[in-house]
Amino acid sequence: MNIADLLTPDHTYCDIDGVSKKRVLENLSTFLNDAGDVSGTDADAIYQKLLERERLGSTGIGSGVAVPHCRVPGCNKITGVLLKLSDQVDFDAIDGKPVDLIFALMVPQEHSDEHLQALASIAELMQSEDVRRLLRTATSDRNLYDLATGARA
Amino acid sequence: MLSLDFMALPLLAASALVFVAVLMGILSARVGFPFLLVFLLAGGLAGEYGLGIIFDDFNLSFWVGNIALAVILVDGGLRTDFATFRTGLKPSLLLATVGVIMTAGLTALAAVWLLDISWAMAVLLGAIVGSTDAAAVFSLLKSSGVRLNERVAATLEIESGMNDPMAVYLTLAFIGVVLAMESGSAQAPWLSTLGGFVTQFSLGTAFGVLAGFSIAWLMNQLRSLLEGGAGILALMLMSAGIGLFAFTTWLGGSGFLAVYIFGVIVGNRARKAVRQALSAVDGFAWLSQASMFLLLGLLVSPAEVKDTLLPALGVAFFLIVVARPLSVWLCLAPFHFTRKEIAFIAWVGLRGAVPIVLAIFPVMAGVEGGKIFFNIAFVVVITSLLLQGSTLPWLSRRLGLLLPEKDDRQQWRKVFGDFVLDARISVGQVSGFYDLPEPANPDITLGAWVAAELRRPPIVGDSVNIGRAKIVVRELKGTDISMVGLKLPEH
Repeated sequence: MNIADLLTPDHTYCDIDGVSKKRVLENLSTFLNDAGDVSGTDADAIYQKLLERERLGSTGIGSGVAVPHCRVPGCNKITGVLLKLSDQVDFDAIDGKPVDLIFALMVPQEHSDEHLQALASIAELMQSEDVRRLLRTATSDRNLYDLATGARA
Repeated sequence: MLSLDFMALPLLAASALVFVAVLMGILSARVGFPFLLVFLLAGGLAGEYGLGIIFDDFNLSFWVGNIALAVILVDGGLRTDFATFRTGLKPSLLLATVGVIMTAGLTALAAVWLLDISWAMAVLLGAIVGSTDAAAVFSLLKSSGVRLNERVAATLEIESGMNDPMAVYLTLAFIGVVLAMESGSAQAPWLSTLGGFVTQFSLGTAFGVLAGFSIAWLMNQLRSLLEGGAGILALMLMSAGIGLFAFTTWLGGSGFLAVYIFGVIVGNRARKAVRQALSAVDGFAWLSQASMFLLLGLLVSPAEVKDTLLPALGVAFFLIVVARPLSVWLCLAPFHFTRKEIAFIAWVGLRGAVPIVLAIFPVMAGVEGGKIFFNIAFVVVITSLLLQGSTLPWLSRRLGLLLPEKDDRQQWRKVFGDFVLDARISVGQVSGFYDLPEPANPDITLGAWVAAELRRPPIVGDSVNIGRAKIVVRELKGTDISMVGLKLPEH
């Protein structure tokens, strides 16, 4: 899975305010709705889906990283949004640590196998200590995008 | 003036031997060579063909062997957490009873053919080498520095604690049969044999439980008076244990079973006091192992071992490759262990001091040609420790039965996956969210579903497939699964 296929520079956000987990998920749903090729859905529906996933267990996978994700009817293309927060927010993460790197993924309702693999690759990428360190050095949206698309786990 | 040489010189030799053996043991343990084997070999090297120390006191060895085994079983019992009984008790019980009989019987078949001895002698040999060794299993599982799957570790440890009584019983019973046959008695003592079985186990269990609860109560009462008295507490535990061993044996019960049960009960009922004493208890266990193995090494005579080396190796290989795996496989069949777990348990049938100590029994009982058992048992134990002991860490890694260390992120991911799910949500929610095949009963909780699919008490690291994804047990609260990992299919 190529990270460049998932992200666009327009929907990579460096140093935005996190505030709270709820706020982050709200922002993500807006960004995903804007970034994605979607029809017949809206930010609120996406927000509900992301929230539904968090109820199964936090997507905070540890070391300050979260990978929120959802399947959305009406979404036609797998879409990612990357955030680097200016502050750290509590995300109920597995290691209890607050989160500042967030890679969200929205996938179409169908072909779930392939999408699960995409999700696994993103999680793998973000589990790499080197990648996390690199992404945290980003100074601008474009810089963050370049670092993410150039990174290898 | 009185010369003290008679005391000083043997003492110097003995302490030098222990010191050198311990030193060699520490160094060799680093390269994965079983510690106990070093003791055995050091004893052997100091013997007739090495330093020339001639030692053939079966009587003394018998004493030391029995006391040392009792101490080791108390130690093993004290370290056994009741919680591991949840996964390990039932399979261990079967392995420790039926398993020992099967192993002994199968080994006897090979022994009749390889050694050309009577079937009764062959079964006696099978019984002698039939049990796995608590000292070897406990110390190898600990010292190999691996964090083993709980189901496998619990089964192996509890089995090794409980199967010695069975082997002792079978050995004594068949010594009776062999002696009866030698004396020309047509009637083998079957009835008394069966009666002995019941007495051995019921008395052993009863006294072990009784003494366990009493001493646990006493320790809890005394603890406040003995702050920091680790050495005293350990001495108290050990004298109580050895006393129990002697008392139970005297009344015809299994002293080994009694002390193991005693250890388990005291260790769990008086946990705080025992934890305080554990490091000192450890000292007793090491002393016992060291003296026992050194003495047994000294007792063996290489020339005699050489005479029966080939058939003895044959028995050892048959035991390791056929008898143990077959009986483990049959005994574990009802418990839904994974194939890898069964393979590992079958391979780690470590033999240790018990067979060598048991092999002294026929010599003491005056069985004709009884020394052959000793020489064969010696070869079987060395082969087992060398072959099985030294491959244990490798095999556990190879079969994927190790739990990853917390800081090993890569391995951690590989076992538990990236995402964590709350086990209290329904399994249908997960399958629905990820578009995975929906299980037959989608409304039960994820934890209950995993437990039902496993069909055995769950342990951390157990996994169940759901479509191409995997649900892995990540955390247990008591006996319930509280957290699971979601492992996604990778490309």
